[in-house]
Amino acid sequence: MFGYVRPAAPRLSPEENSRFRAAYCGLCHTLGRRYGAAARFLLNYDFTFLAILLSLGAPFSCERRRCAVHPCAGCEVMQAGAALDAAADYSVILTWWQLRDHIADHGFFGGLKYRLAALLLRGAYRRSCRRVPEFDEAARRCLRELARRESERCASLDAAAEPFAALLAELAMVERDPVKRRILRLIFYHLGRWIYLVDAADDFRRDAKSGNYNPLRFRYGVEGDELPDEAKRALGETLDASIRQMASAYALLDAGAWTAVLDSIFYESFYAIGKAVLDGVYHKPSRAERKKKKEGGMA
Amino acid sequence: MNDPYKILNIAPTATDDEVKHAYRQLARKYHPDNYHDNPLADLAQEKMKEINEAYEQILRQRKNGASHSAPREGGYASSSAYESGSSYESYGASGGSVTQQIRLAINRGDISRAEQLLGAVSEHDAEWNFLMGVVCARRGWLDEAKRYLENACRMDPSNGEYRGALEQFTGADRYRPAGYRSFGTMTYGGDNCLQYCATMALCNLCCPGAVCIPC
Repeated sequence: MFGYVRPAAPRLSPEENSRFRAAYCGLCHTLGRRYGAAARFLLNYDFTFLAILLSLGAPFSCERRRCAVHPCAGCEVMQAGAALDAAADYSVILTWWQLRDHIADHGFFGGLKYRLAALLLRGAYRRSCRRVPEFDEAARRCLRELARRESERCASLDAAAEPFAALLAELAMVERDPVKRRILRLIFYHLGRWIYLVDAADDFRRDAKSGNYNPLRFRYGVEGDELPDEAKRALGETLDASIRQMASAYALLDAGAWTAVLDSIFYESFYAIGKAVLDGVYHKPSRAERKKKKEGGMA
Repeated sequence: MNDPYKILNIAPTATDDEVKHAYRQLARKYHPDNYHDNPLADLAQEKMKEINEAYEQILRQRKNGASHSAPREGGYASSSAYESGSSYESYGASGGSVTQQIRLAINRGDISRAEQLLGAVSEHDAEWNFLMGVVCARRGWLDEAKRYLENACRMDPSNGEYRGALEQFTGADRYRPAGYRSFGTMTYGGDNCLQYCATMALCNLCCPGAVCIPC
């Protein structure tokens, strides 16, 4: 479900792109430090975005560090702080509950890989529960609610997206300043709504084949395994509405050094990624494809 | 009081034109139209007030001497033009006592109360649909909000308030920083080159050695 939100890189200067990378690497290091090497695999763009939003207002500084992926030169890494720590704790809990959800959705053999991942993550999850027990409680509640609405074959997009959106809104609780907390709550709520709906569109065909619940099927009354254009247009509009709410809320924050990166996310990336998913051209490039592209790029 | 130049994010040496430009940019950013369906409208209003005051203060200071450039031409005196016009106040308009109570609850920001009152109304007329739309928008239930507002407009096509709310809701004409065009999810792109570059550059985030193929 995670990993959609990234900055629109062509808009950004190399310096700004490396700033985002520094946050990405910073979160990776923090995950490793707090939860062990296996937890580094949880790293994704959405959690990085989260870490950046939580870090607004705190001074930004980098240090050069090495890791298994960049053993020689190392790379610039955002210095650890409360925001990265919180983002790491939340990442572990969110991923854990996502795995539980997958295990519940799949049969014994289909769910084996998720069971294995959950096994590897168990220790990290227990540690994160000790650190942020209220968020774990919220996640548990949210997923129960999500399962209930799914079993009812909920036909309202908003009602189906609500539990997940409300869960992400809980992330804002870590912010001390009440005004900023309000702003972040709204951003995270609509981030959750947007991710849930984009994910539903992304999974539409797979869900149609497997018979799993997909809110778009019931909302737009689709029979086949392809979303008709009319439904895509309607979905695009409701995604836009969430993006506009996020952007208006974001305008009230002082993004400081992150202005260019976050501008590109709120004013372009959300639209671009949504469009790519609805057009069916969005997919996370596999390692082999990345390598091929990289070679092509070098040529 | 805070430094008015800091609020407008400009240097004290900025020319009058630069001051005006900075003010206009910020006024556009925090314009009530951008926050029509947004629960943070009050925060935007505060910002707007701050900006208006800062702008007026600078104008006053410059009028009393110490101008940095050619004297300001007239015509842009109404610096607080953006201040008024927030729409939620207008909900206190017509209607029976229940809808009036609902409108008051919405104005207070007491959405649960408004929802409760709406739930007790048996006749689902145009106004009921409109108020449901407003409540849903405040809750973040944007798909439902649009459906209710559309219902309201269908049931009473001549009502300007309902039509206005729906137009505000679907309007793509929101603030964007310089350089960002106005598009929606389904109207994004067209420029395939840029899209291709975007994908490439995203991959490059993971493998910094790679270069985007010039297209």
